[in-house]
Amino acid sequence: MAKTSDDRRLELLQGTLDMLILRTLQWGPQHGHGIGQAIRTQSDDLLKVETGSLYPALHRLEKRGWLKSEWAISEANQRAKYYRLTSAGKAQLSREQDRWSQLVTAIGRIMNPAPAGKE
Amino acid sequence: MRRRNPGLPRINDLDDEIRAHIALSVKERIERGEDPEAARRAALKEFGNVALTRDSMRAVWRPRWFDMAEALAHDIRIAMRSLRHVKGLAITVVVTLALGIGANAAIFSVVRGVLLRPLVNRDEDRLIYIRQSGPGIGSENMTFSVPEVNDLKSRVRTIAAFGDFSTVDFAMVGLGGEPRMVKAGVVGGSFFDVMGLRPVLGRLLTARDDGAEAEGAAVLTYRFWSTALNSDPSVVGKTIRLGERSATVVGVLEPSVPYPADTEIIANVVTSPHHLGATMVTNRTHRMTELFGRLAPGASLDAARAELTAAYAAIVRAHPEAYSAKANVQLKVARLRDQIASPARTILLVLLAAAAVVFVIASSNVANLILARSVRREGELAVRAALGAGHGALRRTLLAESLVLCGAGAVLGVLLARPLVAMVAAYAARFSVRALEVRVDGSVLWVGAGLAIAAAVLLAYVPRLPSPNAPAGLGLASGSVRITPGTNRRLRLFATTQIAFSFVLLAGAGMLVATLVTMQTASTGYDMRHVLAFDMPAPATGVGGAKTVDFYREATRRLEALPGVEGASVASNVPWRDPGFVTMQFVVEGYRAADGEENPRARMRIVGPRFFSVLGVPLLAGREFTDEDRSSSELVVIVSRSFAQRLFPNAEALNRHIWWPDSYLGKPAPRRIVGIVGDVDDQHVVQEPAMTVYHPVQQIGLAGRLFVRAAGDPYALVPAVTRVIREISADQPVERAATLEDVRAAVLAPERLNAFVFSGFAGIALLIAVVGVAGVLAFSVSARTREFGIRLAVGSAPSHLLARVVSEGVVIAAIGIAAGVTGGYALAAIATKFFARVEVPGAVPMAGAAAVLIGAAAIASLTPAARASRVDVMQALRSE
Repeated sequence: MAKTSDDRRLELLQGTLDMLILRTLQWGPQHGHGIGQAIRTQSDDLLKVETGSLYPALHRLEKRGWLKSEWAISEANQRAKYYRLTSAGKAQLSREQDRWSQLVTAIGRIMNPAPAGKE
Repeated sequence: MRRRNPGLPRINDLDDEIRAHIALSVKERIERGEDPEAARRAALKEFGNVALTRDSMRAVWRPRWFDMAEALAHDIRIAMRSLRHVKGLAITVVVTLALGIGANAAIFSVVRGVLLRPLVNRDEDRLIYIRQSGPGIGSENMTFSVPEVNDLKSRVRTIAAFGDFSTVDFAMVGLGGEPRMVKAGVVGGSFFDVMGLRPVLGRLLTARDDGAEAEGAAVLTYRFWSTALNSDPSVVGKTIRLGERSATVVGVLEPSVPYPADTEIIANVVTSPHHLGATMVTNRTHRMTELFGRLAPGASLDAARAELTAAYAAIVRAHPEAYSAKANVQLKVARLRDQIASPARTILLVLLAAAAVVFVIASSNVANLILARSVRREGELAVRAALGAGHGALRRTLLAESLVLCGAGAVLGVLLARPLVAMVAAYAARFSVRALEVRVDGSVLWVGAGLAIAAAVLLAYVPRLPSPNAPAGLGLASGSVRITPGTNRRLRLFATTQIAFSFVLLAGAGMLVATLVTMQTASTGYDMRHVLAFDMPAPATGVGGAKTVDFYREATRRLEALPGVEGASVASNVPWRDPGFVTMQFVVEGYRAADGEENPRARMRIVGPRFFSVLGVPLLAGREFTDEDRSSSELVVIVSRSFAQRLFPNAEALNRHIWWPDSYLGKPAPRRIVGIVGDVDDQHVVQEPAMTVYHPVQQIGLAGRLFVRAAGDPYALVPAVTRVIREISADQPVERAATLEDVRAAVLAPERLNAFVFSGFAGIALLIAVVGVAGVLAFSVSARTREFGIRLAVGSAPSHLLARVVSEGVVIAAIGIAAGVTGGYALAAIATKFFARVEVPGAVPMAGAAAVLIGAAAIASLTPAARASRVDVMQALRSE
């Protein structure tokens, strides 16, 4: 763990990890390590998922029926467990995305109030 | 499927996954150009604590119920701690529930054992019992005669085989001990095969034991062998004397339900000369055989019933002389198991209902206590709700508490059930022999647990939860008790329910006690205390006629010479203990039956000289029999008062003549009435006018029962009486000594037990109801301390407050009683649809039960009332 990157790293907001995992898997099946890397790179190294949270989250999502898993050989010729979004998972993702954007808008309005009146 | 086994495979799978993760990470780092060893270390470090990850996975895999159970376990720990602060309440609740659960579990065990469990007999559901009854002449079980059995056998195809059984009393000598009378079964060779029973020792009787030429053979019942003979294995092959014949013990029967009679031995036909005689074999109306059958393969019970009924109807048509129209004979076919259970069915179902009522009372009482407690802790619940505890969590807290209480109640109840089962089984054994086999088994636990869980869930839903929207803040701060009209109404409703159900039980118990008291205090016409009755059956050597009469005369003469003996006589019946002969028709000189009316019937009894003075029956006119009445002298009889009054209302009955048209006593001959005695009813415990005709033993020949009138303690005479009889005839059984008082008490035992058992239930119910009423009022008083304080402050007299609270208790009781009366009658109306005979308590037991309940309610409300009247005004006004 490089100290430099740790300083600017953000804490994940409570409850957002599930959404990020679902979102990452929208691009196709991926293994745990790949999901962690994807979140990290796509957030421009701002977010880092601890494996201690990632794996419980993956299994929880699978238990709820939003993910499915199977063992496969990776492109790097390595056996790994791949997670795939189910149709229930897709529906859940769009629900969470809606909720998230509402939350962002709401918090945005409070933090940066519009100059006058409402739309 | 995967949820079933959340253990090892998953852990292995996760380890694989972690390993793959690290391998991928290492590979990536190496591709980026890191040193392999450094890459490996970095990857491991980046992954972090593997054990921690594994631990947090477990929480994810755990099924939902596991989390809930864990939360509940936590709640239960808290519940135990919080119940420790209210020990009194907890103990009351646990004991109340234990009584309810224990009673139910015990009764259920007995019901299961008696009514539901299969018999040990092979293919017992193919085993049927056939009975002939004559409802028109009040004969519930007429049994069958041999010609009838043969007719049925030849006409029916749906029964593969018939088994016959008749009961005979033998004077038995052998197998150690004194000569004594034993009850024996006499059976044909097919009996044991039809019944599907096996021997535990030796063999049972078969077809080769049939007929007059076979050797006498006897099988011992298991109970006799295991108790009287200490399971002696060498018993097989021994010879016993049965009356005039002898028999070899060939085997011991396996433990089985003794039906139709609980006998000590079961012998083949040759042992009973009577069974080989012409009367038995050819007389169609000589009925003494019980009949069993085994259904033919493929035949159903209904088919057999139809075929038997049709065959029986044909037999009745063919022999009209043997079946009087008045008797209205009928054939009943039932599965043996149902037949054995049927006498106990009603009483057990009634007991089950009583137990259920006790459970309802117990539950509603507990609900009351819990409700009162939950109102007291409304403040606490409101705080928890305010801190974010959801409804589910609050319910769970309440459920945990009621589970602890009900669990403890169930454990105690099941412990209580053990002795109760023994008691109830001993009680039910009077109605069905199967009750003797009832044992406490696992079903008690299931019933106990089931009831406890039902109660716990109900109780958890009784209290009102603080609604998040309600203005909970008021009580929240002070944590004080606020009683709402709704809660109060519910409390009173539960208390009223208890009173109503208790009333039903109390009135029922009152009815049984009233019946018992009537029976016990009824006058019998006998001198009950001083007369000792013995069974003195025909001696084993088989003496009859004149020699027997001589024996009786000699015996009574020597007995009367004993010190302490005031008189001795013989007779054919010990009152209440012996069934007595059938009533017979007779013809009377000077009495003409109206057209179409049958000749009158009377009971026939045989008595010795001085019988009436020995038993204390008053002689109203004429004389008693004396030693001068002989078989060679004039035939004479003595009649009862009701006989004389009914047949000779305006004239003197003495010196008239009667005849028995039946040839039972030999050739019909006129018999002169020489005496009239007071009415005694030796069959019913509550006396009814009985038309009875007494014959002198000298003119009939056989009596079989000995009566001795004692000056002092009757039982002190027993050894002397036995010695005197044995001096005259060494083989003579003389046994079952009892005063008439004790004979009657033994006959009344079932009534006494009925009254006892129901009084027990009613007592429990009353106790619980009193606790309930007291609890409600105590709670209501403590919640109204302020109100009482104000009343006292504005000048109410303390006695006025006292009366006020007591009257509240009485009102609850009165409403409960009204509900009980209404509900009780409704129940009785429903019950009449299922049971032939439903008794509704009379006015006296009802009024008694009401008085007891009102009184109990008043007493129960005294303590809270006294507290209300002693409220400290200043403190009360400051209390809120």
